[in-house]
This record gives sequence, structure tokens and C-alpha cells, in this order.
Amino acid sequence: MLIPAVTVRDLTRRFGAFLAVDHVSFDVAPGEIFGFLGSNGAGKSTTIRMLCGLLKPSSGSALVGGIDVGRDPEGVKQRIGYMSQRFSLYELLTVEENITFFGGLYGLDDRKLAERLAFTLTMAGLEGRGRTLTRDLAGGWRQRLALGCAILHEPRILFLDEPTGGVDPVSRRQFWQLIDRLSDEGVTVFVTTHYLDEAEHCHRLALMHAGRIAAMGTVGELKSVFADRAVVEVRTPSPMEAVRALDDLPSVEKTSLFGTAIHAWLRPGERSTAPILERMAALGLRVESADLVQPSLEDVFMDVVERAGGTAA
Amino acid sequence: MRKALAVGRKEFAQIVRDRRTLLILLFVPAFFLMLYGYALNFDIRHVRLAVMDREHNADSRELLSSFTNSTYFDIVATPTSMGEIERMMNEGRVRVALVIPEGMSRDLRNGKTAYVQVIINGDNANTASTVFGYAQAIVRGVSAQLQIRLAAGRAVAPPIAVEPRIWYNPELQSTLFLVPGLIGFIVMISAVVSTSLSIVREKERGTWEQVRMAPISTVSYVVGKTIPYFFISMLSAFLIIGAAMALFGLPVRGSWVLLFCLVALYVTSALGTGLLVSTLVDSQALAFLIGLLISLLPTFILSGFIFPIASMPEPIQVITYAVPARYFLAALRGVVLKGVGLGIVAPQIAALGLYSLIVLGLASLRLAKERG
Amino acid sequence: MRRLFFLIRKEFQELRRNPRMFPVIFIAPVVQLAILGYAATTDVKNVPLVVVDADRSPVSRDLIGRFEGSPYFTVVHVTSDDGDVLRDIETRRAWMALSIPPGYGAAVSNRRSVTVQVIADGSDANSAGLGLGYASALLAEGAADLALARRPAGAPAIGTIAARIRVWFNPQLLSQHFMVPGVLALLLMVITTVLGAMAVVREKELGTLEQLNVTPLKRWELTVGKLLPFGLIGIIDVLLVVALAVLWFQIPFRGSFPLLFALSLVYLLCTLGLGLFVSTVSDNQQQAMMTAVFFFMMPMIYLSGFIFPIENMPAIIQPITYLIPLRYYLVIVRGIFLKGVGLESFWREALLMLGWGVAVLMLATMRSKKTLG
Repeated sequence: MLIPAVTVRDLTRRFGAFLAVDHVSFDVAPGEIFGFLGSNGAGKSTTIRMLCGLLKPSSGSALVGGIDVGRDPEGVKQRIGYMSQRFSLYELLTVEENITFFGGLYGLDDRKLAERLAFTLTMAGLEGRGRTLTRDLAGGWRQRLALGCAILHEPRILFLDEPTGGVDPVSRRQFWQLIDRLSDEGVTVFVTTHYLDEAEHCHRLALMHAGRIAAMGTVGELKSVFADRAVVEVRTPSPMEAVRALDDLPSVEKTSLFGTAIHAWLRPGERSTAPILERMAALGLRVESADLVQPSLEDVFMDVVERAGGTAA
Repeated sequence: MRKALAVGRKEFAQIVRDRRTLLILLFVPAFFLMLYGYALNFDIRHVRLAVMDREHNADSRELLSSFTNSTYFDIVATPTSMGEIERMMNEGRVRVALVIPEGMSRDLRNGKTAYVQVIINGDNANTASTVFGYAQAIVRGVSAQLQIRLAAGRAVAPPIAVEPRIWYNPELQSTLFLVPGLIGFIVMISAVVSTSLSIVREKERGTWEQVRMAPISTVSYVVGKTIPYFFISMLSAFLIIGAAMALFGLPVRGSWVLLFCLVALYVTSALGTGLLVSTLVDSQALAFLIGLLISLLPTFILSGFIFPIASMPEPIQVITYAVPARYFLAALRGVVLKGVGLGIVAPQIAALGLYSLIVLGLASLRLAKERG
Repeated sequence: MRRLFFLIRKEFQELRRNPRMFPVIFIAPVVQLAILGYAATTDVKNVPLVVVDADRSPVSRDLIGRFEGSPYFTVVHVTSDDGDVLRDIETRRAWMALSIPPGYGAAVSNRRSVTVQVIADGSDANSAGLGLGYASALLAEGAADLALARRPAGAPAIGTIAARIRVWFNPQLLSQHFMVPGVLALLLMVITTVLGAMAVVREKELGTLEQLNVTPLKRWELTVGKLLPFGLIGIIDVLLVVALAVLWFQIPFRGSFPLLFALSLVYLLCTLGLGLFVSTVSDNQQQAMMTAVFFFMMPMIYLSGFIFPIENMPAIIQPITYLIPLRYYLVIVRGIFLKGVGLESFWREALLMLGWGVAVLMLATMRSKKTLG
């Protein structure tokens, strides 16, 4: 039985009357990529800040690498790496200067510093560009540089807060390859994101909503909640009318907009697209396609949020 | 114009959200006017005087009472040696010492000159020079009085009597002189400080790209940026004037319309200055430094706030022509204290208008260049 | 400790890439000093005077001659029209007016008493007060001359009383001597307090502070690292201003330089501590700047005795001035420059300043935490 890298029990944080994190509990195993999902304001960043020793919990406990962060916030700092949404690099410094600076803060000696400098430049694809001002780097390079600066001291636990904000899809994919490699090497990665497609990369996920964990498990486990449910993806030039049209069909439990398409959730046991096609034709609404699809994480998430919203009221 | 309003509205929303900045901009100036208005004056009153009277007769007493009757001096010590005087001066217990020589009356009746020593603490050159002047005048006056009495053999009415009249400020309160200056100073600082960071902030925070791309003319953008600060500064300025009227009895003897236009022009010139600074630099810290440099000191020293411009050396007087506060102050004092009309202050109004056009124009030019 | 070195190096690297800062930081003192040194004077000389001579006799012209010959007045206009007075004073062509009534000459010849009116523009209280004083003295002397002339020939001569005025510590009454210590203190405050506060808050504003909080870097290391460059600049400014004052403005330096330096360091402690405190109450640079300028700098300029004498302030306000470190620093610097005195004269001030510095630093340190509570 592996000792968990991160153990969280009833972690709570209040800001005045507002409950940002509400008795959250979970474990993260070493080497795991643990994803924290949720919309903005759900409490993800607050949670991660508490785990990094940046914010004191109002109540509850969190053990990171065996250290109680509530009682000894400084104790974890040498053992963890952190990358924030804003990337937090010094614009006026060159790539090399940023690396050297953060390396120095983590106490790397000259030899180690040189070694990690070379490694980071390679990892980020910035070989030969060490003298470039950080201000002049494009989004994807900055992102990898920020990651590099966060792991200079080879921490065993890494916290990433929305690390792919505002970065192009190609860079995002490259970034996640780096994360996978780190995880293979045994580094525990705790990442928050609101990109559901990225969440598929994680070993396990926790869905956060209104300060609580609404659902937790592997990607498969979460999706399997709807294993017996079918979703029909309907593409039509008149989505709004279609939603109204399909909502009261007996075989349809609910509909929701999914990007430019509509997802119609069929009731348990239903599997046919026929009633949908009939109703659309009856109302004279054109259907470009209507296919059965597997419920995606987004569907799962929306469902969870709705149900949580429903019970919270 | 509509686009300018859009920019203005966004800027205003940002200001309002930064509650602390808004409160500071609106209320702090008036509050400080209160504080400074009470605290600051150049009045020479109750100057601590030490007297060593070696003559002790009617004549010396007349000299002493001239000093105390002037309301400028208070006799607080009667030392008996120069050493004592020196000690008192060093410790700051007295600021002036008067030594009346033995045999003063005898010298007077024998056609000789009797020298009264006046020792002034010079470390505050401003008050020292004023004290110097008063002491000088008092001694000369007493000398003439005694001469007249001796010449007539008895106390008589002096051949020439003086009837002094003080216009606009009968009590000679320096407050009435300083408060308009304070108004000008505070308004200038607030305005420059608030706008000098406005453009640079966008550069530092990375929202500058949006500004460059926006489909809006540079002039509209400049106008839009300035509008919210204009309203805030005007509001603040009139709060200050209100406070000055309520607390210090500042009169407004002239036309309110004229006053309003004058303040509006001054505020515009100050905002324009801040904006210009904002277009010239890349960091907020630098914007602040430069803004402060060109607004704080010149307004404080070179506007006629405290030190009369006419007393400054020629080259410095030339520099004061570039200080908007100079024109504002001259016009403000005229309008509120003397009740003058547009005819008298037209040159100052024109100067302020010209200054505003120049700085706003330069700022627009510079901005247009940066937007590519 | 090594961490501190890396932080300081980063600060200088950043400063280096903002090259326009340096000339401004170092030219500022020179400019301020120059302007203040030359411009600040409240001397009242050459007061513009308009004379209404309703008499126009040789006797009245004599009187006018007295004013023309006086260094205190410049007669800009001699008129017989009363209305000119209002006009001239409104436009500030004249600050004072002398009104000689008709029949002045006849009254004097017949040894009757006559009254002359002197009008002063009270909106400039300082000049008005002095101007009136001088005018009264001149007229009194005119009257005395008349009285002496009316005595029979052969009467014994009557002497005068003259004032021999000496000004200690600043015989030429040069405002520079008075202003320079103030400028130095003010400058140090702008550079260290305001720029220091902005530098710390900048990290907060741009988000890099969080990244620093997550590293093992200790809070005191961060404080020292961020404020040290400004402390250094402050020290250089002290040296620069003193050198300028002594070498260019030829202000006498009568006291001990090491003492001045040491106490300037104490003052820097106060200003840097204040900067740190301001940074703990501000979320962004604009707030830092406004708080520092409005709540600390301006009161310090006005209430510290820099320009306006403290003893003139109302009794309620005077106790407040004890809270301002600038007040003590000014006493110390002026004492060292102009009076050549040492600790025996201002040990109280030095101690109070030190106490202030320590107190504000402690307060600021308590408020700044890596982990928010």
C-alpha cells in the first residue's frame, strides 16, 4: 500500500461569510496525475493555494509529502513545485536569468544550477534562445519555461493551477506530454483545469462545484455513471427551436446545448433516434445529423452541476 | 465622440471599482486642505523675543513696548549676559534677541547714534528675513517718534500721521493668501497623479495591445481617458473650495461662472500634463517620479504659492511662465479675493488654455506614434 | 543568505532593463535643489507703489522722493486720479498705494498736522505687512525730519537710534541654507518610500509575488532584497546632495559628516520601513503611490517644519508634528550644516527617529506574511 503523496481531510476555507472550500477530502497517490475540475469560482484555486502553503485553512487538514501544511506551511516549500495561471515570470529578465533566479531561490549550487539550466532549455525547446527577454516569448514557450522554473529543484509533488490558459492547442498538447513524462518518473502532479478535454489525461479526477467535491474517480468511472444512458447529438441550423421541441419528448430526459450542437439525453433504456427525427420533421426543422454518442466528460460534468445545483437549493 | 464616451465609461468603471483610489481622489484633498489651512501660515506672530535692557528708562521702555504692541513679538526672557542669549538661541528657546545699550538716551540727546543690537536666528531664512524687516521698521519708527518728542520738548502730534488701509484682507491673515495656493497645489497633484499612471498601467499589465488595435482615433481615446478624471477632479476641486469657504472664510467676491471656467481650465491643464507623462514612459514607477517632479516642486515653489515670483532671479522667473499654477493662482486670487472680472484675468485664462492645448496635443501626437 | 543574493541580483537585472530610471533618479535631486535654492525667498524689496498726489506741490514731491529713494519701494506710477489706485491694485501693477491729500503742502508749511493714507493689497499678507511697516517707518522719519527742521536755529542736535541687526547661522539669509536639508529629506522620502512601496507592490500586481511565496525564500529576505537597491540609491543621493550643496551652492558645512551620514541611515530606516508598510496596505502600484503621496508625503512636507514653521501652527496640531520623522531629521541636518552642533544638541531627536524607524518596520513586518491567514 503506497503512502499517499497528498492527504486531504475536511479541508475548509472561509472568506468572511463566503464558504469557498467546503469540507473537501481526497487522497492522491504518488506518481498520479490528479485533476481538479470545475468552473471558475468553484474553489479549485483556493484549494491548491492551501495545499501549497499560501493560504491558511479555516479548518480541516492537509498532508503534503507527509507535512501538515496547516501547521507548517514553510516545510513543504522545498519539496513542491507550483505553477500559477499567470505563469509568473519576470518579463524584463531573459530566459536564462529567470531560470538562474528561481534555481538560486531553491538553493541549487552552481554545478546543479548549470545542469538544470541546460535541461530546462532543452525541455522547453528554448536551446539557443537563453538570452531572449521573457517579454518577447510567445505563449507556448512561456508556459514551458514556467513549468521548467517550477521543477528546477526536482520536487516530487507538482501543483499546476490552470497551466494551459490562453495557449494554442499544439502547445497544450506538447505541455501534456511533458506532464506525462514527469508522471512516469514518479512525480505526483496535481492539476486544476476547466478544459474538459485535458481532464481525459488525468488518472483520476475530482469535480468541484460550489466548494464541494461533487464527483470523484477515474475518467472511466465517472463516465460509467452514464454507461447505460444514451446521448443523441443533433446538429441543426436552428438549435434554440430544437431544444424546445425535443425537451418534452417522452423518450428524452433533458436536452442541453453542446457547442453548436444539441445533446439530447435519452431516458434509461431508450436507444432510438427515431422519435427525435420525427419531431424535428414535424416542426419543419432541418436536421443535419443525429447520432448516438458516448456521454463525454462535459456531459457528466453538466449533469453533476445540475444535480448539485438542484439539491443545494 | 461616442467612442470617446465608451473609453471614458470603461475608465470610469475601473476607477469606481478601485474604491480606495476613488475615495482618496475625492475626499482626501478637501480633508488636507482643512488640515493645512489650519496648520500653515507665515504670520509672524508671537515671535519669541529675549530682551537685555541695559538702559532701563522711559525711552527704552517705549522701544520695548513698540515691539510688543506690534503683535509680532512676545517678550519671553530677560537674559543678563550674551552667553545666556547664545544658549537660548542655540536651543531654539528664543528666535530674536534685543540688546538695548547703556546710554541710549544720552546719545540721543547729544546728537549721536545709539546702536540697538538685534540678533535673529537665521536658520529659517523666510521667517528670519520677515522678522528682520519688522525689527528694522520698528526701530526706525521709534527713533523718529523720540526725535519728534525731543524736538518739540513735549509730546505732540506728529507732523505727518499715517492712516493705513488694508484691502481684501483687513486682518492680514496669511491664510487667505495661502489657501488659494493650497487649492492650486492640491488640485494639481491629484490630477497629475491620477492620470500619469493611466496609460502606463495598460502597458505594464499587458492590455496595451487591445488599445492599439481598437478602431478609435487617438484624439477620441485621449479625450475618453481624460473625461472621468475631469469630473472627479472638478468635484474634488469644488469640495476643497467649499471647505475653504466654510472653515477659513474664503470669500468668493467675483463671479462663480468665471471661477468655474477658471478651475475647469486649470484641471484640464493638469490632467493633460499627467497624460503626457503617461505616454512617455514604460513603467508606472517612472511615470510617478516624473509626474511628481514636474508637478510637485514647480507648483509648490514657482507658482507664487509661497514665494513671490517678483522676488526671484530673472532666469527663474522665465521658467515660471511654463508653470500653469502660476496663472491659475494669479487669476484665482483676483477672482475670489478681489472680485475682478474677465477683463482682468483674460491673459491668465488664455495662458491656461494655450497650455492645455499644447500638452493634450503633444500627448495625442505621442500616442498616435505609439499606436503605429 | 545565498537566496538573498539571487534576489538582489534579479532586482538589479530588472532595474538595468529600465534604463530611464537612472537619470531621473539622479537628476531629480539636482533639479530640485537648483530650483529651490534659487527661487525660494520671501524677501520683500522693490514693492511696486502707486502714488496719488492730489497736492502736487514741491513738498509732496519731497515726500514721494523719500519713497523713490528707498530700496523697499519702486514707484511705478504717480497720478492725480484716485481711480487709478483700484485699477493698479486689481491688476497687481502696484501692491501698495500712497495717497497724499490736497492741501498737504499748505498744512506742512503752516506746521499743522496732516494725515496721509497708505493702502496695501492684503491678498499677499506677508508683503502687505512688511510693506506697511516700511511705509510707516519712512513716513515717521519724514515727520521727524520736519519736526527737527522746525526748531529754532542753534538748538542742540538730536541723535538717532539705529538697529544693528545680526543674523546668526545664516548671515546672508539665504533660503538655500534653510531649504537644502529639507530637499534632501524630501528626496530621500520620495525615492525610498514611494519607489520602494511601488517596487514591492509591483510584484503583487503582476502576480510574481505568489510565485515567490511558494519558494523557500523567507519574508525578511524578500523585504531586504526589494528595499536594498532603494536604500543604496538613497545613500548615493545623500552624498550627491551634500556634495552639491557644499560645492555648488557653497552652503557652509560646519558639523561632522560621519554623524550626518549615520543619522541619514537612521532616517532611511524610517522611510524604507514606511515604504514597506505602505506596500502591505496596497493592492496595486497606483494605490501604493496615492497612499504614500497623500497620506504620508504631503503631510510630511507641510507639517514637518520644512517650509512652514512649526511654532506658527495652532496648538492642537503641534503634537501631531511629533509623529513625523522628517521633523527630527530636519532639526538634525540643519543643526549639523548650519550650527555645527552634534549629538549633545539633538540626541532626543535622533533617538525618537530611531524609535520611529524600528516601530514602523516591526508593524510592517507583522502585516506581511507569506501565508495569508
